[in-house]
Amino acid sequence: MSIITGFIEPTQGKVEINGYDVSKKARKAKREIGYMPETTPLYSELTPKEFIKYMAELKGVPRKERKQEVERVMKAVNIEDVKGRIIRNLSRGYKQRVSLAGALVGNPKVLILDEPTVGLDPKQVTQIRDLIKSLGKNHTVLLSSHILSEVSQICKKVIIINKGKLVAIDSPKNLEEKTEKENKLLVTVEDPEDKIENVVKGISNIDKIKLVKELSDGTKQYSISSKDNTDMRKEIFASFAKNDITIFELKKAEISLEDAFLDLINNQQSEPEKTKEEIKKEKKEMKAKQKQEKQNKKLEKNKQKEEQKNKKAKKTEKNKKKGGDK
Amino acid sequence: MWAIIKKEVKTYFLSPIGYVFIGSFLLMSSLFFYLYIFNYGSLEYSYLFYYTAELLTFTIALLTMGMFSSERKNGTETLLLTSSRSITSIVLGKFLAALVVILITEVFSLMYYAIVCIFAGGITELTIVLSTLVGFILLSMAYIAFGMFISSLTENQIIAGVATIILLIVSWFLPNLSSSFNVISPLYQFQDYPQGIFPINETITLLTQIGLFILLTIVVMQRRKNLK
Repeated sequence: MSIITGFIEPTQGKVEINGYDVSKKARKAKREIGYMPETTPLYSELTPKEFIKYMAELKGVPRKERKQEVERVMKAVNIEDVKGRIIRNLSRGYKQRVSLAGALVGNPKVLILDEPTVGLDPKQVTQIRDLIKSLGKNHTVLLSSHILSEVSQICKKVIIINKGKLVAIDSPKNLEEKTEKENKLLVTVEDPEDKIENVVKGISNIDKIKLVKELSDGTKQYSISSKDNTDMRKEIFASFAKNDITIFELKKAEISLEDAFLDLINNQQSEPEKTKEEIKKEKKEMKAKQKQEKQNKKLEKNKQKEEQKNKKAKKTEKNKKKGGDK
Repeated sequence: MWAIIKKEVKTYFLSPIGYVFIGSFLLMSSLFFYLYIFNYGSLEYSYLFYYTAELLTFTIALLTMGMFSSERKNGTETLLLTSSRSITSIVLGKFLAALVVILITEVFSLMYYAIVCIFAGGITELTIVLSTLVGFILLSMAYIAFGMFISSLTENQIIAGVATIILLIVSWFLPNLSSSFNVISPLYQFQDYPQGIFPINETITLLTQIGLFILLTIVVMQRRKNLK
């Protein structure tokens, strides 16, 4: 994220934002971005209003629109009631929102938010999430988060990166479906005679049954998986009823993005990390290559020069000859 | 750049640093003025600046120590570097903001000149005063540029402050060691201004020092982007 926002220069590759290369056309690229860092750095001696105004000035919001823009942003993140207090004395939630306001000011097309809801209370979390969702309608929002339930709620597309390598890009729904390999049901029953295993054996299609936990009210929760993708709920309900097993709850076990994430990370063969020597070797090879290229270029240049010289020499000879003829 | 100057000057006076700097500077100036000028019945206002220049060597670090180090420590460096402002304008903005504080002090210290004028019964030695003021501003600029450069090297304000003071004191005394060190000592370069001469050589030397350290600060900030 630091590279995308132009805080650090990339060592390899390049980042383009709306067509502007971050390292070559830094100014134009940075204008397109609103960045909210994870640590929410703020000038603690200023008030939120002063801070947002300063950010607006830094981002080059024209003087005429500045006041309006500051008001608009303060309204959007709902910090109008503390706009005159010194940031140092604000609560974590307010600070977070002031930081978000700093990113929003100037209406940038791309918003980059690094863990925007960390350290907030549940009410503030839902507020910020709703805000981000509404921002998503008019802006591109790039959000990094470790809270995956948040990601599946807010985001349309997920990128999972593990140890600097891209693992997956997809919508959260697709990712969840991909990992959903088997059809699983969770069923909570009252079954004093422990008939359930025998009953289940009588139902075709069922692969395994496993006790998940015994609940305090005497009921037990089982997980049942089927061999294929058919819905077994009807059959289970019918046969359980016949055998006097009371069903308290019957539901499909949903696979969350978290499961998908773990699955993807674990599946990815963990590559052995390069040792220092290997890295050194690679660097050496690179340098050698570059040197050779340079030398080749030099040789070519020299050749061209020589050719030109030869041509000149020939010309002068010709001229001389001509002169002689005359 | 204007935005940065405005905000920095504001921060100087929101935190006590600006007041402490101006206050301590004026307090000491008053003392010097009373002891060395008023007591002797002297009318040489510019003489005061020999003392205040030495005083500046100790107090300038107050203004410069936090310039970049505190931003780095608080993480607000991210905000500056990811804004669409160039590093050059950030560095110049901070430099000029500190200069504004010096100028404010300068305006205050003109009251001593007013006192001298009252006793002299009219404006005296205007050219000497002007050359002294110009020299003093150049000296402050050289000090600020140097302090700013030190501040860009570390994220600890205290280290930046102490290093600035120590190195400036070293530069003060180096000319005593050998005259070949004269060029690197801003304070030595300042000596001629209060005598009513406007020395071209010294002016060029000071300007070179100012430019050099501003440039070095820009280079350091640029390099940090690549080294992180």
